[in-house]
Amino acid sequence: MNRPAVPQMVRRAFIARCAVAVPLSLIAWRSARAQPSSTVNMSGDFYLPVRPAAKPDAVPQLDETAVIALERELACPCPCSLDIYTCRTTDVACTNSPAIHRDVVLMVDGGYTGDEIVAQLTSTYGQRIRLVPSKSGFNLVAWFLPFVAVGTGGLVIARLLHSWRRNAVQAANGTPSDIRAIAVQGTDDELARLNAALRDDSR
Amino acid sequence: MILIGELSLWVAILMAAWTTTVSWAGGYQRRPDLVFSGERAMYATFAFTIVAAIGLWYAIFTHDFSLKFVASYTSMNLPSVYLFSSLWAGQAGSMLFWTLILSMYGAVAVYANRSRLRNMMPWVTGTMGLITLFFLMATAFGANPFERLDWVPADGRGMNPQLQNPGMAIHPPMLYFGLVATAVPFAFAIGALVTRQLDGEWLAAVRRWSLLSWFFLTIGIVLGMWWAYVELGWSGYWAWDPVENSSLLPWLTGTAFLHSIMIQEKRGMLRKWNVTLVVVTFLLSILGTFITRSGVIESVHAFAQSSVGSWFLYFLIAATILTSVLVSTRLKDMEAKAELESMVSREAAFLYNNLILVGIAFTTLWGTLFPIFSEWVQGEKITVGQPFFNSVNTPLGLLLLALTGIGPLIAWRRASTANLKRQFLMPVSMGVFAVVALLLLGMRHFYAIVFYGLAAFVATTITQEFVKGIGARRRMYQEGLALAGVRLVARNRRRYGGYVVHFGIVVMFAAFAGLYFRKDYVAVELKAGDTYAAVDPWGDTWTFTSEGMSTYNTLNRRVVAISLKTTRNGEPMGTMLAEKRQHFDATGATTFEPSTEVAIKEMAGQDVYVFFSGLTDAETAVMNFHFNPLVIWVWIGGFIMAFGGVIVMWPQTERRERGYVAELSPQHEGALVGAGA
Repeated sequence: MNRPAVPQMVRRAFIARCAVAVPLSLIAWRSARAQPSSTVNMSGDFYLPVRPAAKPDAVPQLDETAVIALERELACPCPCSLDIYTCRTTDVACTNSPAIHRDVVLMVDGGYTGDEIVAQLTSTYGQRIRLVPSKSGFNLVAWFLPFVAVGTGGLVIARLLHSWRRNAVQAANGTPSDIRAIAVQGTDDELARLNAALRDDSR
Repeated sequence: MILIGELSLWVAILMAAWTTTVSWAGGYQRRPDLVFSGERAMYATFAFTIVAAIGLWYAIFTHDFSLKFVASYTSMNLPSVYLFSSLWAGQAGSMLFWTLILSMYGAVAVYANRSRLRNMMPWVTGTMGLITLFFLMATAFGANPFERLDWVPADGRGMNPQLQNPGMAIHPPMLYFGLVATAVPFAFAIGALVTRQLDGEWLAAVRRWSLLSWFFLTIGIVLGMWWAYVELGWSGYWAWDPVENSSLLPWLTGTAFLHSIMIQEKRGMLRKWNVTLVVVTFLLSILGTFITRSGVIESVHAFAQSSVGSWFLYFLIAATILTSVLVSTRLKDMEAKAELESMVSREAAFLYNNLILVGIAFTTLWGTLFPIFSEWVQGEKITVGQPFFNSVNTPLGLLLLALTGIGPLIAWRRASTANLKRQFLMPVSMGVFAVVALLLLGMRHFYAIVFYGLAAFVATTITQEFVKGIGARRRMYQEGLALAGVRLVARNRRRYGGYVVHFGIVVMFAAFAGLYFRKDYVAVELKAGDTYAAVDPWGDTWTFTSEGMSTYNTLNRRVVAISLKTTRNGEPMGTMLAEKRQHFDATGATTFEPSTEVAIKEMAGQDVYVFFSGLTDAETAVMNFHFNPLVIWVWIGGFIMAFGGVIVMWPQTERRERGYVAELSPQHEGALVGAGA
């Protein structure tokens, strides 16, 4: 059995990892302390009335299909994780989603558009009534970051593949990828000439 | 017996502490006596954890309601199968069950490597001991299932009706077997990093355990989908709920690892990346456990909040920092001379496959944690639900499906133009044909058309590989079709088992796309004798005629059932029975909210899903009717994936491996696989 070798610390890599890990850990820690309660109680009353006055000469802007589509993008405020439409048609114990549905129908009858209805609900419940983050402000990060991350990953891979390809080409030519790698001392000009000579010999 | 169980839990803690201490000391001081003592202590930890679990089961089956856990999750009239499964119905019991699996895996890993990897094993054993110690302590101090009540109730509260389902009896154990198994590759990674042995046998051990984890996670996730579908009543099987996501995350990174490890095996490349994936997979399983058990993110599936959540948070932070330090100090050991002859090669395809899998994992994690980040930054918690995940992950899923077909067709190192033409001609043609056919048939949904086009492409690549392989065997060995097929798979289980898994993925994706065409008819009021007519996505007209409601008591519940006679285009299709249930305890007092049993008629083309929503008066039932295309293929796809996993995992004996190498080298191998092995 060999004694394990003494670890070689790569300081920069360690600091880089700590720079990522520590803030994330702190965020998670603070969040865990900040949100202590989440016992699931679907029958709880989370409903807040949203009943703005109808517009003059109101004409409904949404048909039934559009209402369903709208409600599929609104979160039931109880902790059922469902949208308003699914919750109100499924979880009979929940009194919140049918009540919000009634408000939505009233607003539709009052001539409000889909965006206006969402705005009315958001002003009362806050952003958590929406199942999708709005595409403005900080919430834009939610939408863009995944694609930015994957795009960056794609570029990194492309660069990696390119460097591997270069290694292969150099190996096929019988030339070390970097002449300095074999610890030859000399000026850049001397090294370039040595490199060329080695390449000629390998042919 | 209960007292013995409780005491065993404490003794197991001591044993796990001993395992860690003496194993690491033995590894550091190169003392075999300490190493062996540590290994025996790992076995002892497992043994005492079994006794603790048996003690709790004994308390459950003897209805000892002096234990808070037994009183909270069981009742006198709970059927036996659910008494057994109640161990994982609540926080404390499930912690003990988790620890039981963990200690078992630790013991098995030690036993399986009793004569291998001797330099590394002390560190592996010590790490497994440490993780087990953490779970045992979190169980004993954070969520102790042996905690006693000040008084003894006459009956327990009973089990949540939604958990009284066969799927729920099997789904959590499968998920636990998968999640816990990620600890073993992690322990091997720690061992390999400490001893700087990052090739060879380490890879084989890690791959085996990663496959096991992947296999159980696959089954667990699919069973969870099935349970949600049949039990929750909203006619869907995946809602991107935080708890669902937390089981998917390690599956995604584990799948990425199972692909990228092939590059290290074949070419010695990607050592850093593979170690990172192993570590991340384990950390994600701990993060998922934290999400499920802490209450930090709201979910209908989560356990009630308890102090055990903070245990996981501290463990996660400590494990992240310590592993980061260890990896950082070993970066030079993981350097490898990487060369690639061509940008068009299987290595490149696997790298992009990894990118997409990790990209989906990142997106899922990001969406799951975004409510926390948004509250942190904006002071307001944003809800991130199904529409977000569908919008972002669907394009990535399509890319992944495409790569599932592309990767296996491209040769390692370099693919020639002739090779590409030969390999891709038929699959691309079939994909294009499928798209054109669907357009001609009137399908206009963009994503659905792309899904089915890609599904046809991938299915053809897989079929093509089997046809070529079987054809080559038949020519070389004059074997019959069936024998050639069986031997082809049996003698290269990894390759062809992998293709079977890919086929399962194709079937599943095709089934997912079916939901774009679902049709819902909700809040339909029916009295006895009323008929409701609805058109399904295939254009057929269904009728549902109420035969009236019946009310009766059975086991631990009162049932109101509505019977519906169904027809399709006038043809009788049988009777469907949907139920509303109210559970009660042994004294007859009601427990929990009323629950629902949906009626499902499963067919190849669609499921007819009937949900008994409620009653408006004594005679009028409110019903939801859903037509969900191709759902049965989700379960079939899951089964195919698991079957493929069994093929891949099935041990290949040394004799056969040698025979195979002799039999198939090297020109035969080329003939068999077409694209080169």
